[in-house]
Parts: sequence; C-alpha cells; structure tokens
Amino acid sequence: MLGYMARRLVRMVLSLVAVSLITFVLLQMVPGSFSELSNAGSTIYGDVGMVDGGEAAVNQGDQRPAWQQYLSFMKGLVTWDMGPTYKYPQASVEELIGEAFPVSLTLAIPATLLTLVIAIPIGMLAAVKKDKLADYGSLFTLTTIQALPGYLFALLLVLIFSVGLNVLPVRGWKGPEYMIIPVIALAVQPTAVLARYVRSSMLEALRDEYVVAALAKGGTQRTVLIRHVLRNSMIPLVTVVGPIFAGLATGTVFVEVLLGIPGLGRLFSSAARQRDMPLLMGATMFFAIILMVMNLLVDIAYGLLDPRIRLEQSGNKGSRRAKRPGQPKVSTGMSTDSTETVVAIGGTRV
Amino acid sequence: MTAELVDETAATDRDEVKRPKGQSELGRSWARFRRNKLAFGSLFFIGLLILVSIIAPLVAPYGYDDMDVTNRFAAPLSESHLLGTDQLGRDVFSRMLFSLRTALIIGFTAELLGLLVALIIGLWAGWKGGRIEGALMAVTDVMYCFPGYLFSVIMVVIMGRSIIAIILAIGIAGWVGQARLVRAQVLKIKNYDYVEASRSIGTSPVSIAVRHILPNAIAPMLVTVSFGIPGAIIAESGLALMGLGVAPPMPSWGGMIVEGYIYVLAHPHMIAAPLVLFGLTVLSFTWVGDGLRDAFDSSEEDHA
Repeated sequence: MLGYMARRLVRMVLSLVAVSLITFVLLQMVPGSFSELSNAGSTIYGDVGMVDGGEAAVNQGDQRPAWQQYLSFMKGLVTWDMGPTYKYPQASVEELIGEAFPVSLTLAIPATLLTLVIAIPIGMLAAVKKDKLADYGSLFTLTTIQALPGYLFALLLVLIFSVGLNVLPVRGWKGPEYMIIPVIALAVQPTAVLARYVRSSMLEALRDEYVVAALAKGGTQRTVLIRHVLRNSMIPLVTVVGPIFAGLATGTVFVEVLLGIPGLGRLFSSAARQRDMPLLMGATMFFAIILMVMNLLVDIAYGLLDPRIRLEQSGNKGSRRAKRPGQPKVSTGMSTDSTETVVAIGGTRV
Repeated sequence: MTAELVDETAATDRDEVKRPKGQSELGRSWARFRRNKLAFGSLFFIGLLILVSIIAPLVAPYGYDDMDVTNRFAAPLSESHLLGTDQLGRDVFSRMLFSLRTALIIGFTAELLGLLVALIIGLWAGWKGGRIEGALMAVTDVMYCFPGYLFSVIMVVIMGRSIIAIILAIGIAGWVGQARLVRAQVLKIKNYDYVEASRSIGTSPVSIAVRHILPNAIAPMLVTVSFGIPGAIIAESGLALMGLGVAPPMPSWGGMIVEGYIYVLAHPHMIAAPLVLFGLTVLSFTWVGDGLRDAFDSSEEDHA
C-alpha cells in the first residue's frame, strides 16, 4: 500500500508539473498584455481596448525571459507566495484565492451533502424496483436532468422563487438566504449522476453470490439489502463522490458568475476576462491541485476500503496504471463518462 | 459499405423481433430507434431546428442587431414583437433564432473537430500501442485534472472571440475523452477473428483500420457525437456567460441570459424564452443519443 501511495504521489507531482507547463506556455501565447487591455478586457458588450495609455505603461508586466518567469511562478506556488496581481496590485494572488475558496466551499459542502441525501435513496429504489415503472421513470428523469447544465437550474429556480414568488434574492452574497438557490442548483446534476451510479452499483451487488447465500440462510430481503448489499455497493461510491465534491469546490464558475457569488469560479472568470495572468495562472493551478489531491484521496480510500484493489496493485507492479477507476466528469454531464466509470469499476470487481 | 456490418451468427441469438433476412445491422438499429417515440421525435425536432437556423434571416422578423429604440423592454405578445424586446429594443424572438444558429454551428463543428482529432489519435494509439498509447494515456491523465471549460477559457483568451476561435477552443478541450473511447473500441475490435484473418493475409494496417475497425466503431461514435454536440452547445453558452462567447452584437443564448439576468425581476421574458429553447435543444440531442445507444445496444443488459 505504501509503495502504491508513493507511486501515485510521484505521478501526481509529474501531472501537476505538466499542467503548470501547459498553462504557462499557453498563457505566454496570449496576444496583448494586461497593460494594453488595462481598465478593460472582454465584456458581454465586446472587447474594450486601451482606454488610458499613460497609466497603463506602469503595468509593463514581466520582462524577464520566459523560463525565469516560470521558475519564479513555481517557486511562488510552492511557497504559497505568488505576488501581486495585475488588476489589484495591492492584493496578492494567494490572498484573493484564500478569500474566494471558503465561499466556494460553503456552497460545495452543503451541495455535496444534499446530493448524497437525495441520490442514494433514489438510486436504491430504482435498483430494487428494476424494470418496474419507478425504475424507468427515475432513470429517464435522471438522464434528462444530467444533460442540463447547473446554471440552467439556477435560472429556473430564480424564475420560480425570486421572480414568481418573490421569496429569495436574485443575486449577491449577503446571508444564508443567498445560499439556497446556488446550493440546490449545484446539487441537481451531481444527484442525477450519483443516483444512476448507485443504481448500477446496487444492481451489481445484488447479483453477487453472497446475496443469494444470505437470502438462502433465511435473511429477509430488507436485512440483506441493508446489511449486505448496501454496505458493499457503497464502496465504489467513493470514486464518484470525491470527484463530485472536487468539481463543486472548483467548477461552479457559471453559477457563481450568474448569481454574483464571490467564489473561486468568479475569480477565475474575471481573471480570464481581464488578462490578469498571475491570477489566472494561480487559479488554474489551484484548481488542478484540488482535483488531483481529490483523485489521490479517492484512490487511497478505495484501496483501503476494498482490499482486492490493493492486492491487485501490488500484484502487477510492472504496469503503472493497473487499476484506476475512471472519474466521471461532473461538469460536462456527458452520460458516456459515467458508463465508462461503471465499466471500469465492473472490471476491478471481477 | 454495410457489407461488413452484417453479422449473421450474432443476429440469430440477439434481438427478440423477427426481421427480414438480409437486413443490415444498421437497418435493424434504425428500426429499433424508430420505435422509440421520444428519440425519433427529438430527431425530427433537431431537423426542424437546423432548418430554422439555416433560414434564420428569412424567418426572423428583425435582424439580430435592429434596435426599436422607442420600444425598449416591450412585453411578449406585444403588437410588433412576438417575444418582446430587450434593453436596447432588440427583438428577443429574432435574437433567439440567431443564437440558435450560433449554437448549432459551434456545437456541430466543435464536436466534429474533436471527433476527427480523436479518431486519428485514438485509432493510431489503439492500433500501434506502445509509446503513442502511453503518451495518449499521459495526456488523458493530465486533462482529467484540467477541467474542460478551464482549457476552453484559456484558449479563447489566447485566440480571441471569433467564432472559429471558440470552435477550436471547445473542440480541442473535448477530444481527449473521445480519443480514449476510440482507443478502447479499437483494442476490442483488434482481437476479433476477422481482423486477425485479414491481417494474416497481409492487408495493410491502414486498410484494416478504415475497412474493418472504423465501421465497427461507428455505433459508439454516433452515440458519443449526439452527446457531444449538446456538450459543446452548453460549453459555448457557458463561455458567453463568462463574457467570453462570440463577440457582440452576434447573439448567443449565454449572452442573452447574462444580459437579461440584470433585468430579471422586472422583465423575466428576456431570459425565459432563450432558456426554454436552449433547454429543449440540449435535451433533444440527449434524447437522440439515448435512443441511439439503446438502438445499437441489442443486448438486454442494463446500462446505467
């Protein structure tokens, strides 16, 4: 297990370096520096060009050769001291990220909990009632919901509760009532993903021989379901819940932008619009780190929960990526991804 | 071209319905697809959308940029504007149609671009294995911790907000997953007996890839495409939502939604109409994808 964790760690660091290199090279290619776009950037009304040339000259950006810039950025990332941003010279990148991340977390944690509370019962019900109306009905609803982006649900909720009933605020971030719409909107799509996943995971567990054995020994359907099937089918859920949480903690850009929530997503989007390279680079790396750490935790948890994975890992040391369950991408909502995951999990279980 | 797809042995023990002899696998799938009313209806609806978006300049009562300045924030069903006007007095219905056009152009081309790249690299990686495969898997690993929209945003920042730049940004962000899918498909088909046979008689790898592997990979690819197009449409409106979509005044659903959201309490009609068309478009592609998946998958296994 230790060797496995060490290998995963090395791979994670390598991937992070790759991501940072890609981002850095890409951002080097951006035409027009921040100084040229000072006071402006892309808005919904178009790209606004240079407004104030005199003052902009102060912000020349970094004049050092690219590799020095890259090294100093990486040093800043590791020591968590990334220096000032272009747009807000008085604030440093890590301060802005440090301010925005808790906001995103306060949305991501309740949204993940809500997802778990709703998705698991629905998935179980669909699995137990397989091929009955409840199964088909919920499966259809879930695929439909999964296809739609989260911000669409946010807009629907706003139209119903803010415009129609006038009980919830439209946008902003001032108190608990401002959390209701984003949390629900963020939870909708992951709920659909997770519920479908629970369903197929339960179905698979139901087919296992120990279920037949438990039933044969005289267990009622209820006790077998709860004590045997549920416990075993919960293990693969770790692989989905982790990425869902990571996706919510970082990937809530659209809902945050739309509802005016000062989280990581909005920070990233304004950095992109304003060509604020230090901030954009820092935010991108922060996203990547969170996603990778989450993947690592998921893999380790999975190995701890299911000894078979662990054994297989140490069994074939030769192949680097022996058994890694695929992660469904929550943000895109493409159902093919979750199918892939199920297939991957199915492979590890046999 | 369909000759390879006829699989007589498999046909006897699959599919519950009796069918005329000699019908191709694709034909059977099409019959199954047509029985699915929702999927077939959605396909019809998509056809309608494509038609409307082609003739949008003829159908739309106004241009997307025409301002009726004396008639700003007109309510829906007002005498001259079917769905009302926005804050500049532009006709919401016309702008919605032109947004549909933008969305479909970007959705189709971005997805096809991604697919093309995915096909080339996936076929190559799956067939050759070795280094290229290792490289593909490494790229996939990196892309997994690099959310697609993040990549698209950076690409748009680099290339600007032209429609081609957005197509490239979305297409490039989307190819990795598809390439993996192609590769998996190739690995499966590669080991079939008939591929082995044609390799043993000295058929060139390229011709095996084109004549044997590609036709077999078409079904899963079609399913991916029909899920990929709404994905690209959502990505496009997401970019517009962040102020990085197609440059104004060209309308896009995302842009209409952001602009309308400012006035949502007083004039909800500005976002309601584009929202509905946006949702219906995305859903109809998804339902077609679902229908295709069921149609191609003749086994009765549950596919969650």
